[in-house]
Amino acid sequence: MTIVIILFALALGCYAVAVLEGWAVHGRLSLTRPAISALALLGREKIMPRTPDRLYYEAGPVLLLIAGLLAVAVIPLAPGLIITDLAIGALFLNAALAYVLVALIMAGWGPNGAYGMISGWRFLGQFIAYAMLIVMPITAVAMRAESLSTTQIVLSQAGLWNIAYQPIGFVLFVVAAMGVAWLPPVDLPTGGGDLASGVTAEYTGARLAVFRLARLVIIVALAGATVTFYLGGWLGPWLPGWAWSALKTLAVIAALLLGGRHLPRLREARYLAVSWKLGISLALANIFLVGVIALVVPL
Amino acid sequence: MSFATAFFLAFFGIAAIWFGIVVFRTHSMVRSAIALLFSQTAIGAMFLVMQAEFLGVLQIMMMATEMSVMAIFMVMFMMDPGGMGKMDMTHQKRLSLWAGGIGLVAALAVIWTAGWQGPVPEVPGADEQARALGREILGRSMFVFESAALMILTAMIAATMVAIAPQEKDRP
Repeated sequence: MTIVIILFALALGCYAVAVLEGWAVHGRLSLTRPAISALALLGREKIMPRTPDRLYYEAGPVLLLIAGLLAVAVIPLAPGLIITDLAIGALFLNAALAYVLVALIMAGWGPNGAYGMISGWRFLGQFIAYAMLIVMPITAVAMRAESLSTTQIVLSQAGLWNIAYQPIGFVLFVVAAMGVAWLPPVDLPTGGGDLASGVTAEYTGARLAVFRLARLVIIVALAGATVTFYLGGWLGPWLPGWAWSALKTLAVIAALLLGGRHLPRLREARYLAVSWKLGISLALANIFLVGVIALVVPL
Repeated sequence: MSFATAFFLAFFGIAAIWFGIVVFRTHSMVRSAIALLFSQTAIGAMFLVMQAEFLGVLQIMMMATEMSVMAIFMVMFMMDPGGMGKMDMTHQKRLSLWAGGIGLVAALAVIWTAGWQGPVPEVPGADEQARALGREILGRSMFVFESAALMILTAMIAATMVAIAPQEKDRP
């Protein structure tokens, strides 16, 4: 029953992302556009590129979807409303998101097209930029909670949310999360107007629909992870827990989609340089600060 | 050990070996790298079957990134990364056979002669395992761990240097 509820919530979340993204891109709010686009994609002709790596071509979008769904499995919506409350949930989330990279490389390599392949490898460069900045802020979060369980991490924020306790970690995590979901300004893997939409260039019809759905799931998973790690999860006054989770997740999704759209697109080499030279130093400082505060102040 | 545990352990073990064979049966560099990834992921699944949650998930996570990075290195440095030209990946066959055979004998010898204490009756909880692992890595095993990391880094840099063809301007 829990699984059904969470999958339903996930579907609603994905639809919300699609509506919000349509609004951000086209400037018009339409509640039906994503459904119509999905139906159109499913009905469209499925074109197969010449001499593809068939296995990778088919497996790429599906693996992307599986990675997103696995990441959602450890995000709690309310006490008890979680698919599996693993003792190492935060690490599991990382492991699931690592397969986003594998899926994009497979999807980029599979169709035997230059644009897709270059974009797939570009995402690898982007991955090397954001990977450490996903893991290191989570380390600081786990240090405060003294647990890797996502439920424990939410409970540890009862006194003070992590966004106030470790603001540096929050900023780094959000920037890295935008890299994972290749949201603008770091949307090179599928950026419109660059390399003919990159990885998705050779995908059509139902396969493209699966690919886009998988990306929506990943955005929801990352927003859920941000809420769990930094915004106190289901905690909040008056409303029931699941409502707070939903509201916070929607707010984070809106911020992720709108925030980066006003910045110029970031080349993966530049992203890499900033992430390693500035980001990792800040992440280490964050871990040190949180360690000191955790030892000195009982909060 | 229950039947289900034994079954899944054997299943993922055979999967790991099978994907290991696939690494050398394919000519495509990316297929080869990803096959190695799935071989390692199967080993991670074996950890999970043995209820070592932290180690299993860590293995599955690390290998995804490592093998992807390895894939791009193989594509960069191999002359036929797509495997369309029927390139032969094997070389120095006699030496490789001997090295593989000796490695196998050594591994089997270690397995047979090591004093295994038998399966523990009660598996500690996942959080307990993570704590014990942390104490081990920051204590007795720290030197081994850190020197292994340094060796891998050195090997990576050295291998890249060897693989890059010397540029015209570098020649004396």
